[in-house]
Amino acid sequence: MSRTLAYYPGCSLHGTAKELDSSFVGTAAKLGLTLAEIPGWECCGNTAAHATNRLLATALPANELVKVKTDMQLDAVAVPCAACFSRFMATIHEMDEPQTRADVEQVVGRPYEAGVAVRNLVDVYYDEVGLDALKAKVVRPFNGLKVAAYYGCLLTRPPKVTLAEDPEYPTHMDAVLKAIGCEPVAWSSKTDCCGASLALCEQAVVVKLVRSILQNARDCGAEAIACACPLCQVNLDSRQADIRKTDPAWRDVPIVYLSQFVGRAIGVSDSELGLKKHMVPVEAALA
Amino acid sequence: MAATVSSALAARVRAGSGENACKCYQCKKCSVGCPVAGFADLHPAQIMRCVQIGDLDAALQSKFIWLCTGCETCTTRCPQGIDIAAVMDELRMIAREDGRVRAEAPFAAILELNYRSFRRWGRLYEVELLALDKLKRPKTFMDDVPMGLKMFMKGKINPLPTIGDRGQMKRMAAAADRIVAEKRAQAKADAATPAGGAGGAP
Repeated sequence: MSRTLAYYPGCSLHGTAKELDSSFVGTAAKLGLTLAEIPGWECCGNTAAHATNRLLATALPANELVKVKTDMQLDAVAVPCAACFSRFMATIHEMDEPQTRADVEQVVGRPYEAGVAVRNLVDVYYDEVGLDALKAKVVRPFNGLKVAAYYGCLLTRPPKVTLAEDPEYPTHMDAVLKAIGCEPVAWSSKTDCCGASLALCEQAVVVKLVRSILQNARDCGAEAIACACPLCQVNLDSRQADIRKTDPAWRDVPIVYLSQFVGRAIGVSDSELGLKKHMVPVEAALA
Repeated sequence: MAATVSSALAARVRAGSGENACKCYQCKKCSVGCPVAGFADLHPAQIMRCVQIGDLDAALQSKFIWLCTGCETCTTRCPQGIDIAAVMDELRMIAREDGRVRAEAPFAAILELNYRSFRRWGRLYEVELLALDKLKRPKTFMDDVPMGLKMFMKGKINPLPTIGDRGQMKRMAAAADRIVAEKRAQAKADAATPAGGAGGAP
């Protein structure tokens, strides 16, 4: 019997990161996972909620977790967006505090019951599927493509909330890439912030942060960057046009979702992988 | 008079965020790891110091609190276990509450539009956010709109909002607003009284 996970796509996966949605769904189907989208899911509240109203920020993911546990009767939810994942994990952490829990239950209008595991994009492949099962599904392995596994901020920080293996130098994504034939490179910007939350208001800052991450990946031999966050992907991908304006010699770095790498290796169709949706072309890296 | 590491501001920050800034001993690990400290006037350890000594003006007028990306590097590395990013969030809330958001703070406007957008539709409506921001800050039109159009052409931007459970969103937002308003008013009143220092159990 296949395993069923609740699925919370989040706003980005229905907009700027449609290729993360379609590639993730495509890989899940091939890997024996059934995804059940949470009915009427709402925004997780993102940075704007926790910088404005902490209670609402905690209540929004709690409302989704109540639906998963009580209405859908499931014990795990896949949350491929790193930003949404971080808000879900923050809610689980904060619900340990009795007063917060009482306030949140009042806002949600229903009792909250712990016990739903929240899986980010890396977790789904590493923990839910597992490396051996993933390897067994590979039909088109990569031939040692050098890839920098980029985590950014929200998959690992803060570790007391995300329960990450290692907040400074996590390696589960590298292990997934290795399982499909890529060669993950050692590099230093793996958990650096790309500044995506400032994307609409502090361009100069953002371009510098992006450039520093991309340059470090290049300097460490990477031919592409794998990422697991829709905000990082859009930021790292689209800001290279700004870098080119001041540096005509700039060599673009393809920014590929982990689900696209996995999907390409296990035979998900090109249209589901959404390879045409990128600003910097990714077809050559995935050829 | 020497500065005292216990202030009404520290108490107010603690009431709102649960974080005790008085535990900070200025090791500056937060500032060293901060991706945006180099672009700001003050760095995170200096903001923590402002909170400790009650310098609300310096904290609220600093560029830094509106440049913080919330990357949580400071929170992760703080040897005292202070959630420094949550302190920055709290200062943003205090700035809004007191009507003292600094003049040059485009991030404040973006966060506000974002907050209103998901509350209205149940989900974030990116086109609306971008359009309203450009109306407010027309000079920044070329910074984002050409890229937005390219993304639109690739089908990455929805012209119409995708809608969540708007009824439940409306109920939750109203309940959260009411509960938070009551608590914050109480905390502000408590912090203003001399007995309401940052002391108490650590």
